[in-house]
Amino acid sequence: MSADSAAKTTPPPVVQVRDMDFCYGASKALFDINLEVKYHRVTALIGPSGCGKSTLLRCINRMNDRVPSARVTKGEVLVKGKNIHDADVDLTQLRKQVGMVFQKSNPFPKSIYENVAYGLRIHGEKNKNALDEAVERSLRHAALWDELKDRLSANALALSGGQQQRLCIARAIATLPDVLLMDEPCSALDPISTLKIEELMSQLAREYTIVIVTHNMQQAVRISDFTAFLHLGKLVEFSPTEELFTNPREKLTEAYLRGTFS
Amino acid sequence: MDRPTTPSRPPLRSVLLRSRKHTVLGVDPQHLIRWFFGGNASIAVIVLVLIMTFLLREGIDFLPTYRHELQTYRRAGLEFCDIIDQPLQQNQTLSSSLRQAVSASLETLSKSARDRRDAAFLLKRQIEDKTTQTSESLSQALEKTPPLPPEELAVLRSELQKAAAAAAASLTYTDLFSAAEREQLQREFAALTPEVTDLPPLLQTLAADFTAKDREARTKFASLVQAQEEFEAATEPLQEVVDELKQHAQETKENAVEFEVLETNRLRLLEAAAKEKDPVEKASLTKEAEASFTEAVNLAERIQAITSRATELREQVEKYALVIEKAAAVLPTDAGTGVARTMVNDVRAGIPVHAQAMRKAAAQLDSWRWDKPVSIFTVVGAFFFGTSWITNSSWQDFFGFVPLLSGSLVIAFIAILIATPVSVVAAIYTNQFASEREKELIKPVIEFIQAIPSVVLGFIGISLVGNLIKDVSEWSWLQWIPGFPIQERLNMFNAGCLLAFMAVPTMFSLSEDALNNVPRAYIDASDALGATKLQTVFRVIVPAGISGILSAILLGLGRVIGETMVVLLVAGNRIAIPDFSAGPGAIFQPAHTLTGIIAQELGEVSRGSSHWQALFMVGIVLFVISLLVNWCARAVARRFEPHKA
Repeated sequence: MSADSAAKTTPPPVVQVRDMDFCYGASKALFDINLEVKYHRVTALIGPSGCGKSTLLRCINRMNDRVPSARVTKGEVLVKGKNIHDADVDLTQLRKQVGMVFQKSNPFPKSIYENVAYGLRIHGEKNKNALDEAVERSLRHAALWDELKDRLSANALALSGGQQQRLCIARAIATLPDVLLMDEPCSALDPISTLKIEELMSQLAREYTIVIVTHNMQQAVRISDFTAFLHLGKLVEFSPTEELFTNPREKLTEAYLRGTFS
Repeated sequence: MDRPTTPSRPPLRSVLLRSRKHTVLGVDPQHLIRWFFGGNASIAVIVLVLIMTFLLREGIDFLPTYRHELQTYRRAGLEFCDIIDQPLQQNQTLSSSLRQAVSASLETLSKSARDRRDAAFLLKRQIEDKTTQTSESLSQALEKTPPLPPEELAVLRSELQKAAAAAAASLTYTDLFSAAEREQLQREFAALTPEVTDLPPLLQTLAADFTAKDREARTKFASLVQAQEEFEAATEPLQEVVDELKQHAQETKENAVEFEVLETNRLRLLEAAAKEKDPVEKASLTKEAEASFTEAVNLAERIQAITSRATELREQVEKYALVIEKAAAVLPTDAGTGVARTMVNDVRAGIPVHAQAMRKAAAQLDSWRWDKPVSIFTVVGAFFFGTSWITNSSWQDFFGFVPLLSGSLVIAFIAILIATPVSVVAAIYTNQFASEREKELIKPVIEFIQAIPSVVLGFIGISLVGNLIKDVSEWSWLQWIPGFPIQERLNMFNAGCLLAFMAVPTMFSLSEDALNNVPRAYIDASDALGATKLQTVFRVIVPAGISGILSAILLGLGRVIGETMVVLLVAGNRIAIPDFSAGPGAIFQPAHTLTGIIAQELGEVSRGSSHWQALFMVGIVLFVISLLVNWCARAVARRFEPHKA
């Protein structure tokens, strides 16, 4: 999938960040961010450590709410056109629409089945058939079904690291979210597991909108359609991946890509 | 130009050799410090081993000692007597309820007459108390020889009369008497003199009234009264035979025990004499040993005197059973009051059971053998499954473990049942919902409970909780609770409540730690899926921390079972298996515990006696229980915590 095909059919952006400032207490972490995440595309956030990539990612499903004193001080975040900080937004529904996968795989100490079904259960799904169906669909999407279908009742913690991370993806997509946020999902995995997850992501991109934070620039090139480069809390450059990597507009981006600093 | 010179290095050899400069007594101080720390750590292990050894050394002899005692119990014939005597105890219960039923029935007719009589006699006593001095001086004057002149006597008499009249006027007469009767009583009391020994006429009438009423009542309830008398009379011949046999058996036992003491003494002296080298000493020891010689008790012969009467005893039992069954048959269905009727019915139902038990016991007499050895399994059974703990008895001591164990377990169960929800819920709240300020308040307060000395808690249990439970149990709208109203202020429930209070800090802190140890990542994952706080807590955090919570509960149980002071003060200390037939209300009965009995009795028994050893045996079992509980807690904590692996 390339950038120009997205330009032809222009469905509305799923996530829009507008002029957003974000603070942890008194210290400002993000400055005046503007970002549009395109429908069914993979958007990568890259940048040096501490530049605010993860913070920006967590603004999209309001995971920062749990940090006391952390707040958006200016601007707004829209998901499917709705400002997620509006008073009438139900946080649980927002997070159902915006799934998340973490850096370190974190399956619950429950069975594989229960892990995938968890999201549905907490949103009130009790029908056994519906659950079975959703578990199978999610595991198939996460390319785990063939490996695990015979031991769905095994404890998820017995799986290998790569399997655990794919299980977490399956868990995140079980509730059919519109957006899937991924916070360096491969950084704790070996190259083969990483490869599998990357393949998985390109498949998932057909049905989900993905935002991924990554440290690995090769990965960003391999999987993403758009790339945003952040530096010291500012969005330096946001353009189609090919363009950003071959012909960066900003000096800073070029320096980072060359490895002048990291 | 001078190049900077590098400082000369020491030769390699001297660098590699171990420095001998800093040694203490030729030992590297590093090693000394290591030994010091290691030594401190191993003290705990050493002390634990010493405790185990000591407990075992004192307690392990219990089994042979108790076996020996039980053997004497059998050989002297005490066991034989108990075959009949034990079931005969039931007779007391039946007879006492029957007696109560009779008196309750009689009272329905004679109560008012009796009350009137008793009130009048009480008044007379009060008059007599008030006029003691004057009436005594008068009676002394009357007895004097030569007799006092009549005018002096007259003075004394008038004094007495005045005193009596004043006393009679000052009395308060109950409204059991009519106005006329009161007046008459007052008049009669005023006229009391020491010479007249006859009762005043009204008192006589009152007494006669009561006798008449009582007779009337006895005729009305003749069949009941008769049944009761027959029942009591039936016991006598049997009881006589049993008592005679018991006395004989007891004598045999005492002689046997005395012989044993002397014999042990003699053997010890002889042994000492054999070792002694000085001939004079040796002679004196031998002489002393000979003086200690006694004839061994001929058990076979003495037991003959008991067993030979087995047939007679059996006949007596049969006769007794027949008589009481007949008495049960003629027991009237009617009694004076509802309570009496229930009692009579209970007795009627109880007598055939009792008779059957007696017959069964009598049948056992034949198969009983005085010289059957007591196996070690019997002894172990008698300790671990024995249902009575009887000490300092003139008849026979029994060391049965079950009453103590049941008390301990019931109390521990109550305590855990109360403490678990309280502490776990408090831990969940503090860990997950409380604000920082609340945490700062709740945690130290709960942990402070641990600092309260248990004797103070026991004191609170006696003075406060006991009364509170008793008062509450008397509220009429709570009577549906089994066991209400309660009889004893000091009972297992009371002790359980206090122990629950004591267990809460342990269980709370450990549960809270367990919840704290649940990885942050689980909570992140759950939050990111849109779970509410409650969903995260109950579907992720609590299940993930459940092993820690279980282990906290088990450690709380360990603490509760080992606690002594509170149960000693509050549990009521009745050495009996709680009567579980009373249903859940049984928790309001008093009981004794494993820990309590050791604390209470160990100070009073002579060292090395079977009682002493039995208490150590209880200590060993307690130790083992604690070890098991702790081991379980650790096993549980390890087993269900995959996220720690």
